[in-house]
Amino acid sequence: MDDTEKNVNSVVVSVKHVSKKFCKNLKRSMAYGIMDLSRNLFNITNDSGRLRRDEFWALDDINFELSRGESLGLIGVNGSGKTTLLRLLSGIFPPDKGEIAVRGRVGALIAVGAGFHPHMTGRENIYLNGAILGMTRKEIDSKFRYIVDFAGINGFLDAPVSMYSSGMRVRLGFSIATAVDPDILLLDEILAVGDARFRNKCYYRIGEIRKNAAIIFVSHSVDQIARICDRCLLLNRGKAEYFGEVSEAIKMYVGETEANGGDSVGFEKVFEPVKSVRFDWSTLTVEYGETVQLVMTVVAEEAIPDNMLRIVLYDHKESVVAEWNNRRMNQRIDLNKGTTTLRVNLGPLHLKNGEYRFGVVLNDAHGTREIIRTFRQYALHIDGPVQGSSAYQLPSL
Amino acid sequence: MKPQQLTIYKPNQRHELGFLKTWAVMARNILSSRELIWQLFKRDFFAAYKKSFLGITWIFMAPLMGIVSWVFLNMTGMLIPGDVGVPYPVYVLIGTTMWGLFMGFFNSANKTLSAGQALVMQVSYPHEALLFKETAEHLASFLITLLMSVLLLVVFKVTPSWKIIFFPLVALPLFFLGAAIGLVTSMISIVAVDISRIITVGMGLMMYITPVIYSNSVDSHLVQAIIKWNPMTYLVCSARNIIIYGSLYKPTGYFVCAMLSVILFLISWRLFYVSEDKIIERMI
Repeated sequence: MDDTEKNVNSVVVSVKHVSKKFCKNLKRSMAYGIMDLSRNLFNITNDSGRLRRDEFWALDDINFELSRGESLGLIGVNGSGKTTLLRLLSGIFPPDKGEIAVRGRVGALIAVGAGFHPHMTGRENIYLNGAILGMTRKEIDSKFRYIVDFAGINGFLDAPVSMYSSGMRVRLGFSIATAVDPDILLLDEILAVGDARFRNKCYYRIGEIRKNAAIIFVSHSVDQIARICDRCLLLNRGKAEYFGEVSEAIKMYVGETEANGGDSVGFEKVFEPVKSVRFDWSTLTVEYGETVQLVMTVVAEEAIPDNMLRIVLYDHKESVVAEWNNRRMNQRIDLNKGTTTLRVNLGPLHLKNGEYRFGVVLNDAHGTREIIRTFRQYALHIDGPVQGSSAYQLPSL
Repeated sequence: MKPQQLTIYKPNQRHELGFLKTWAVMARNILSSRELIWQLFKRDFFAAYKKSFLGITWIFMAPLMGIVSWVFLNMTGMLIPGDVGVPYPVYVLIGTTMWGLFMGFFNSANKTLSAGQALVMQVSYPHEALLFKETAEHLASFLITLLMSVLLLVVFKVTPSWKIIFFPLVALPLFFLGAAIGLVTSMISIVAVDISRIITVGMGLMMYITPVIYSNSVDSHLVQAIIKWNPMTYLVCSARNIIIYGSLYKPTGYFVCAMLSVILFLISWRLFYVSEDKIIERMI
């Protein structure tokens, strides 16, 4: 095995039994700070492995290893400890238990453009930011062209950064941080900003860096995680709930966020002259490409002719991924006085793996009055393909 | 392939490092972050004047005002010229300048953590670099003050002795003492603002128990005793005397205090290195 190959396969990040505690109470946290300080003054070691009053484990017994060429996605709801883990990895503060070993240079994009001075020009800020990230002057000189080109700020190089648009600032920050040629790249929600063109450039650059480095990527967007990462760590209140397959982690994560409030937003309403409505679904768990049958039983006080029925399918981000409309298919729907039964075939559903929700709206003939409305009341689970960022997955090309 | 350094993060890692090793590591960190110190210095020292029309000339204004006010006070005859061997305004001006030098060192060190607060939580870099950047900023403006003060000596026809070239060496303990206190308060100010406020106010009051605006030949026994036991007397007055008389103020006392300052600085530096991460995680 030659040298290069050894390097490619080598472990660059190793996290063993790492825990970190924080204090919930500000005053007490300050008091602990002074206590630790005075203990250090008399050279007494702190027992950091024990919890004091009001302290909790922000991270609890985290373990993983990452080699060159691998990328790990960190997901979890807010407050699950993702950013804390990134800060430990970049050495901003040490763990309270366990050990982190990092081989090589860490490039961290925890906040873009940290340390930009608004009144200094873009050129001056490149040198400043580079120095903050640990680059020497020579290194910055040699990367200068790349940074400017990648950020696309050529014409604004000698304008103060305060004149930049926020997008330009983000671009400049990303360009500088990735110019370091890190062995480990830490990215925190970084692709949430910037326009689509720049995002694609970022994906491309990340792919390039990945050939020779390990990447740890924090995001709430499961699409981005699926696109960039080949392994995933799901955090929940500081504990590693799952570590391994991206698809499995995303499934669990989406399930969690749904359970944490997804249900509360669903509702079902009927308006005069409709008295009641019942939905019978043939199934709410389908395989990729299958069809769902819906039977609606509507009870109305009077006949309502020529209605418009819209059935909409939302994904977990509440974007519409599919829609049926009887008018578009030239199908007429009339409601009788008394009970009417409507049968709708939905599908085939060529959708990506995940949880979806139905919204059903029935309007009267003029399309102005809603008589039945349900929103996100019924969940549909699809066992579809996992990879890929769009909800609709073509059955074949 | 570039050489790859293995970095380990463990609890109480810095604490387990030996005393001597801590100082070696910190000195190395300072050396390796020269570029960072220079860039940050440039940012804060020059950028502060970017939005003003007078620009960099502003840094001459403050010392100029100081001189004007002392000369004016001299003209009113309010200052009773005790026998200090030189015109009284010169004595007071150089004395307060030296006091300012010390307070500047203290304030620079005191800002070590708070000056980089925005950065500290986002990027990992040796924070001791900030101590030197702040100190450099202070020294740059002090140099201008000193230059103007020496000009004043000429105006008052006081010729400094050639021993003035030892001034940087004589003033060095002021840095050690100021930084020693400042590094500790910079950490305390994150976890307990009250304590650091008390220290900062107390430091300001110290000037009045140090013979810089009066001579040490005061009648009161109490004042004499305070002056005698105040280490600042020896450090500040020696820095002043080397400029106006070309001699040290009570050399034995000066050397003892200088040694103590160095020791205090080393202890404080180590404490800073060991404890700063405990403090930083409370900055969030």
